[in-house]
Amino acid sequence: MEYKNVLTTCPYCGAGCNFYLQVLDGELVGILPCKSHPVSQGKLCIKGWNAGEFVTSDERLTKPLIRRNGSFTEASWQEVLDTIAKKVKEYKESYGPDSISVLSSAKCTNEENYLMMKFARAVLGTNNVDHCARLCHASTVVGLVQSFGSGAMTNSIRELEDAGCILVIGSNTAEQHPLIARYILRAKEKGAKLIVVDPRAITLTQFADHYLRLRPGTDVAVFNGLMNVILGEGLEDKEFINERTEGFEELKETVKRYTPERVEEITGISKDKLIAAARAYAKAERASIIYSMGITQHTTGVDNVSSSANLAMLTGNVGKTSTGINPLRGQNNVQGACDMGALPNVYSGYQNVIDEKAREKFGNAWKVKLPEKPGLTVVEMMNEAARGNIKAMYIMGENPMISDPDISHVKEGLKNLEFLVVQDIFLTETAQLADVVLPAASYAEKEGTFTSTERLVQMVRKAIEPPGESRSDWQIICDLAKVIGSKEFEYKSPAEIMDEIASLTPSYGGISYDRLRKGGLAWPCLSKEHPGTPYLYKEKFTRANDRGKLFGIEFKEPAELPDDEYPFILSTGRIIFHFHTGTMTRKTGLLNREVATGYVEISPKDAERLALANREFVSVQTRRGQIEIKALITERVSEGVIFIPFHFAECAANVLTNPALDPVAKIPEYKVCAAKIEKIKEIPR
Amino acid sequence: MLEKVRDLAKRWLEDKEVDVIFGLKEQDGYIAPYLFTDASELGNLTISTQCRLCYTCRPSKENILSLMQRKEPNTKIGVVARGCDERALIELAKRGQIDLGKVKIMGVACTQDEAKGCKCERAYPNNLVLGERVKGVSEDENVDALLNKSLPERLTFWRHELSKCIKCYGCRNVCPMCFCKDCKMEQEIYARTGWLPPEIPMFLFIRFYHVSERCIGCGECEKACPVDIPLLTIFKLLRRDVKDLFDYEAGLDAGQESPLLTTLDEAPMKEEVTSGV
Repeated sequence: MEYKNVLTTCPYCGAGCNFYLQVLDGELVGILPCKSHPVSQGKLCIKGWNAGEFVTSDERLTKPLIRRNGSFTEASWQEVLDTIAKKVKEYKESYGPDSISVLSSAKCTNEENYLMMKFARAVLGTNNVDHCARLCHASTVVGLVQSFGSGAMTNSIRELEDAGCILVIGSNTAEQHPLIARYILRAKEKGAKLIVVDPRAITLTQFADHYLRLRPGTDVAVFNGLMNVILGEGLEDKEFINERTEGFEELKETVKRYTPERVEEITGISKDKLIAAARAYAKAERASIIYSMGITQHTTGVDNVSSSANLAMLTGNVGKTSTGINPLRGQNNVQGACDMGALPNVYSGYQNVIDEKAREKFGNAWKVKLPEKPGLTVVEMMNEAARGNIKAMYIMGENPMISDPDISHVKEGLKNLEFLVVQDIFLTETAQLADVVLPAASYAEKEGTFTSTERLVQMVRKAIEPPGESRSDWQIICDLAKVIGSKEFEYKSPAEIMDEIASLTPSYGGISYDRLRKGGLAWPCLSKEHPGTPYLYKEKFTRANDRGKLFGIEFKEPAELPDDEYPFILSTGRIIFHFHTGTMTRKTGLLNREVATGYVEISPKDAERLALANREFVSVQTRRGQIEIKALITERVSEGVIFIPFHFAECAANVLTNPALDPVAKIPEYKVCAAKIEKIKEIPR
Repeated sequence: MLEKVRDLAKRWLEDKEVDVIFGLKEQDGYIAPYLFTDASELGNLTISTQCRLCYTCRPSKENILSLMQRKEPNTKIGVVARGCDERALIELAKRGQIDLGKVKIMGVACTQDEAKGCKCERAYPNNLVLGERVKGVSEDENVDALLNKSLPERLTFWRHELSKCIKCYGCRNVCPMCFCKDCKMEQEIYARTGWLPPEIPMFLFIRFYHVSERCIGCGECEKACPVDIPLLTIFKLLRRDVKDLFDYEAGLDAGQESPLLTTLDEAPMKEEVTSGV
């Protein structure tokens, strides 16, 4: 008899909790928390506790599938790899390499994301590689790079506990990052002031000292209003502004126009509440800002992010412990997938593809000439597929048929492809459209690393064997590259891949498996002796002149506002009991028991006007599409606003959402679109 | 102490007193339960209060030791047990989950500091093999602070604490005594599902009462709580009530019936056993 516990990193959100997988005679029998882990400290959320169940689901893919005469049949690895290789050569020769695109995965390891972007660039010869970070924090990467120089959480999670004030905007932390909410509550117990800015009365609001309920999409006005009060009362940090920033005059001129009265008009937040919150934030010795998709998923996503950076710099709340701008990233390895360069414009470590030196460096390492033109982003890929310019797509561990905005259009794009390969652990809604399906190993069945939202690189360890003939994603990419003819994918283990990453990526320069086995390392970790960096910008920012940049940013309305025909604002998001497209959580008994299907939250007054009863089915419509869904009458949303969690395929919120993009970051506006609701007579199904 | 534990474990294995040793293993600085099948591995055997041994596995809802005994009913398992580990074993045996006849307990006492760290009332096992008995922690400032509050103040206190709950079920998941197949906490008729915070007080109170007389006071529930609800405080009070009302304490004697499973005519009721050996 063999019984062991294998320490690993949770595959759900970006908090980076660790736990042990309990293995009895090669079988996964349970999960145990790890008390010595710095973030999770022996605690987990409901998803973490149940992260073993989907792994052993009998719906797992166990054999490669190939579409013949319209339906899937099982095939050998040799056959599917040969088929893909042949197609790749065909498209490259007939239409050029940019007729192929690749979606990498924020659920896969750093090593796998690195290999996927290397495969796209060095083997396919295209920069058309992107992943779902585009849909959640593309605006963070752009916004924080232009303000600070680096697009990541500035501080570490545990530091939150010692903040004097925490401003949470657009983050339902208790539900989306429960183990981070832990540190907000601990800060509260120690006397910190909590400010929550959110259109929904989320779980955290019950503990808030200041709850500012804004009209969705008016975040820039809120930030400008807070800064107007701070400057008006002389609460800014003049020394910090002078010594470490530039652009203050521009900011001051813009912010001047956002008086509390005007901000009340735009946002609906009373001026007294705004003033009180501004004072609480500015007067705290150390103040932290936490944000998430509530501010990033807008056509003004970059503006929102840079506004948060403005506020922090104006008050000197960057570059010391328990302060900073803390974007909470939604996927276990979305930080890592970005760090690894699974993005159309950068290699690993955000080294730009248009920079000749960077191109030469990677080209030399991979012994190939690399493409110069930046590639397409997620939504652009779907558009080009629909137009017939993208002929083939290779999707690893993503499910755009649920996760992307305006699903009908996504489906049109995917169906218009001549050849679609999907590599996943389940036959997802997207995989069902594929020509070839490659069965992959789950996190419990492979080795690698994830980088959490606090830039902490941590080990993922193999506990059990993958089911059937499924293989680790890194092995599949290597196998495919070799069949196509590349000699640059000869790796014996993920540790070797990490060594290559470290050699080409300065921020990961000191990272190796020997070090990670003893605990995580936060990047930048520049050398073997470097201890890692819990918080950024202590001495200077990483922009060209070492200064942080303040921007004067005007408020802009969302792309689609309610009107007579579509009178509601529809916002979308997640709930604690499920995760993203439900591929993993909807195969978990307890989670389904908590919430079995989707619902639309509607305020009691609106429900009364529509004569709706709780749990009654309604039709929700936008200019993109229509779904039937049950109504949940709750004060959590205000009048005129409705909310739908996007996890559920049978009432998919993203049939409705607006694919309008932020002009720079190309992130879609999931958080605001115009909708109407109607009662329906027949109960669906 | 650690050397003594390793030496004794080695002797037990070599002398065939047991077939395997169930204890804690340290690897790269991390500590977790492990089944030692070979004496050569015992260099990694460690003792720590950081981790308990007998957890209920999920989703099967069976104790890890039950699963082991199901696989190999004849294997004699040596268990390196602290006081709370032993109490868990006794209580599990009492409730038909494991066969104590195939378990040999190597009882290890906790130090005074370890007892304080866990706020433990009884920091040693009955089958004490190694270490000295130290006095348990009888004073608990959290319990005293609570008892000094008025009833309305206590209500406010618990309302606040329970409102923090994010429904992870961690308190139940780590409890060695929570192995019910049809856990009431999961059922909508007892507490509304799919909502935060979970229904106050029903969601957590179901467990408080269901575990009241079987709680062994290990404090794992409190340590697993992501929002620091003082669960050990309420269980200390429940344990005190059970002791006062029935002169009964869980985990001391496998032959002693639980008072809540006893009928008034003193014929013991059978607990519904849906699993175990």
